Amino acid sequence: MTKLTAARANSTEAYLAEAGGELAALCTACGACFSACPMVARVGLGRADPKSMTEGLRRLAVGQSAHPDTVAWVGACTKSGQCVEACPERSAGLDAMLLIRIAKQRAINHSRQLPAKQDPTYFPRIKIFARLQLSDEELAKWL
Amino acid sequence: MAVEGEPITFWFGCNMLRHAEMIRISILLLERAGYDVRAAGGPAYCCGTAHDHQPRGASNMAARTVSRFNAAAEKEGRGTVVTWCPSCHMHMSDIMAPGNAAAFDITHITELITQRAHRLVPQLIVPVRRRALVHRHMGFATHVPINERVMDLLSLIPGLELVAGPAHPGHMCSALAAVPGALPDTVHETWTAAVANRADTVCTIFHSCHREYSALDGRDRISVRNWVQLVAQAMGIEASDAYREWRKGGAPDIAAIERAEQSKYHALVEPELRKPSPLLAAAPKLVE
Repeated sequence: MTKLTAARANSTEAYLAEAGGELAALCTACGACFSACPMVARVGLGRADPKSMTEGLRRLAVGQSAHPDTVAWVGACTKSGQCVEACPERSAGLDAMLLIRIAKQRAINHSRQLPAKQDPTYFPRIKIFARLQLSDEELAKWL
Repeated sequence: MAVEGEPITFWFGCNMLRHAEMIRISILLLERAGYDVRAAGGPAYCCGTAHDHQPRGASNMAARTVSRFNAAAEKEGRGTVVTWCPSCHMHMSDIMAPGNAAAFDITHITELITQRAHRLVPQLIVPVRRRALVHRHMGFATHVPINERVMDLLSLIPGLELVAGPAHPGHMCSALAAVPGALPDTVHETWTAAVANRADTVCTIFHSCHREYSALDGRDRISVRNWVQLVAQAMGIEASDAYREWRKGGAPDIAAIERAEQSKYHALVEPELRKPSPLLAAAPKLVE
């Protein structure tokens, strides 16, 4: 059972705006999360400097632009979670995966260094799959 | 079906709607474990995780979903929301709840069923004579020890031999799709491991992985099954899997297509069903 935390803001948008700065402030840019990430080699960043990459991570999380290599790394996050355990500031409250998640959102919406993935067919396709398979009763009760 | 027991909400997410039979089996497993289940999912219960490019819209979706679960908790006593999708689970835990007052807690279906395994064991009466390689990802373990939970549950099935597959990056296959080459390589590694370990079944844990492997069902004499399907089989329930059959070249019957709107089916669904397996992009030596 996951006991949910008490609300800290009045919307997820407001929470993420607060959390980005807070998590970035906890981050020491030591590079441990980058070194633990299984996607680093996949995006050709095996020789990148972990400290400078995580310095860029902090910048992205507060809405500033960062080196394209950092943006490429953040953009390749697949939520493997290896960064969470690797982070030496975890005990201080730093959730590295959440920091990277927020950095990715900011790189899309603030520094605009990552393209927005817009798929207008996302919900319509799901609805068609539902209508192909669910009974009228299931459609009414579940959706 | 009305069932007496602890009331819960089963939040199956959006993309599970491709797999209606797996939703029904999940509800059945929860009911047999002693819960009174109300299922909820689809766009009206979206967590917002797939809408990072629309922060305001994602925030509104999250608020709507939390308020619906709050209402179920307050009016029907459904203070536990049971997740299926790891994206929904993590998004609720890490982002939705800190931004919205939640009157409920969450748990993953594998955790709840594991807790009540003693109720299910007497119902696992049909030996499932398979050697199953479990397709795994390393993500989501930050929130739920998913691989261990699924292996624990499957180990209760008489006759079933288990092999732990390679632990891949990401929390499920859909996370890898945006990184060039990552998904085909992952499918290739799992399939190669299944062949090398003489498995006759690849067992998926999540829906998005099942989506990718369905097209491979039967190749190299290896079947593709989700973990809930194997548990159901041990209960004597042979569940169909429409999505798997469609991915292998089948199609819904015409009445279902007409009900879903034929033009939308052809425009939105058929291209997905006819998409080649990622294995074809990864391992030419493994295909014909």
